Amino acid sequence: MDTIALLLTLRLALVTTVILLVIAVPLAYWLAFTRYRWKTLVQAVCSLPIVLPPTVLGFYLLVGLGPRTALGRAITHLLGHPLAFSFAGLVVGSVIYSLPFAVQPLTSGFAAVDRSLLDAAATLGSGRWDRMVRVVLPLSRGSLLTAAVLSFAHTVGEFGVVLMIGGNLPGATRTLSIALYDQVQDFQYAQANRTALFLLAVCLLALTALYSRSQRRDARGGDLV
Amino acid sequence: MPGVAILFRSILPPGISPEIASGLPTSGAAVAASSPWLTAHIEHRFQHDRAEFHLRLDFALHAARTVVFGPSGSGKSSLLRVLAGLLKPDAGSIQLFGDTVCQIRHGGEAQVFLAAERRRVGLVMQSPAVFPHLTAARNVAFALHDRGKSGQKETIHSLLQLVEAENLAGYWPRELSGGQLQRIAIARTLAADPSILLLDEPFAALDAQNRQRISENLHQWARERRVPVLTVTHNLEEAFASGDEVLSMEEGRILAQGTPERVLARERERLLQTLRATPSLLAHGT
Repeated sequence: MDTIALLLTLRLALVTTVILLVIAVPLAYWLAFTRYRWKTLVQAVCSLPIVLPPTVLGFYLLVGLGPRTALGRAITHLLGHPLAFSFAGLVVGSVIYSLPFAVQPLTSGFAAVDRSLLDAAATLGSGRWDRMVRVVLPLSRGSLLTAAVLSFAHTVGEFGVVLMIGGNLPGATRTLSIALYDQVQDFQYAQANRTALFLLAVCLLALTALYSRSQRRDARGGDLV
Repeated sequence: MPGVAILFRSILPPGISPEIASGLPTSGAAVAASSPWLTAHIEHRFQHDRAEFHLRLDFALHAARTVVFGPSGSGKSSLLRVLAGLLKPDAGSIQLFGDTVCQIRHGGEAQVFLAAERRRVGLVMQSPAVFPHLTAARNVAFALHDRGKSGQKETIHSLLQLVEAENLAGYWPRELSGGQLQRIAIARTLAADPSILLLDEPFAALDAQNRQRISENLHQWARERRVPVLTVTHNLEEAFASGDEVLSMEEGRILAQGTPERVLARERERLLQTLRATPSLLAHGT
């Protein structure tokens, strides 16, 4: 197996997962509790990557963050290089592409927290931020884990967005799924099989871990503590 | 009219005879004549269980212990949620100790709306809402931000003692009964050092003996700190035995307000009027 591609993939998945949790927690909290009239539009935008062809997303990222736009030029000025065909570009693409996999379980988890607990916390002097940190997050640990695992696994398996925005630069943007594509193109089926098996195992393990945790929790009567 | 007498006697709490109830207030429970601690003018429409409710309330409270009495669905709990800042009324104003915490014009934006976390209004709800991820002691400690660790420990212990739950400190909510959870919720509310206390059927899950003792402890705590208490109940006996002032509510409106004797007299009059209007019921009772 391509070890460099493997390490790059794991690094990308880890960085993406951390960034996604930082972004998705407040976003999901807002989505779970807001009565803002345009909430459904925000939800639709957040879920768009699930149905949008990855190549479409990759194309717009490539164009939008390229040297032809003010944003692209600002980023190039800031980083010293364009986002396209760089690891930073892959991270941006992965964060956007995996956003629904983090936001949706978190929103569901937060919305499931008993409102009377939040009311009680408010009357005890706990503000909005404090309620999120001290009540909602501890009671949504299962959703946090689900969001993290799904974001990680989904990023590991990315192909379209990565290819569009990152190309195929060994050591910089060549992830395992791109390496697998190359191996098949070169008729190296044995190597391709090992790479494919690894990707399959990662995804299967992640989902098995999630479902077994969920089963244990159900056996305890849905108790998250 | 023995039928009416039997029916009327059935709504009287022990210790209050129909004779006392029929008279207007004497020198009984005193309602202070000083400025009110709460002034409220509230209008709010809301849906609950597919039915539409309309709260239209206009009242002021002076007494240290007030009881809101009324049947289920009369809007008692919603009133407490509005006062606590958990529910924003459609229109109206609320003053606590002379400070405006809510001022909303008809069809307009809130000019003043102090959020629940800034009102210092303690609310014990019907469902205890004890945090399941914290032990009983940590639940009580939830509101104790600015006290040192030893100070916190002391406060937690004394509050748990007050609700006779000091032996439950280390327990998780899932290990406690409904009555025990209700005690933890009461102790937790007191820990927040509220300036007023709103109690929504707080002793419903307790047996009669515990209810009496913990209620006494709670009211003593409030008396010592001069914290006025507003209790909601649909239990007539509790309403007329534990309040200096009673508000009788029905369908979102206040039917009567005053000393227990005065309100009871009005309730009696209302009941008699209803019975006179339905002669078949009287005939059935005789």
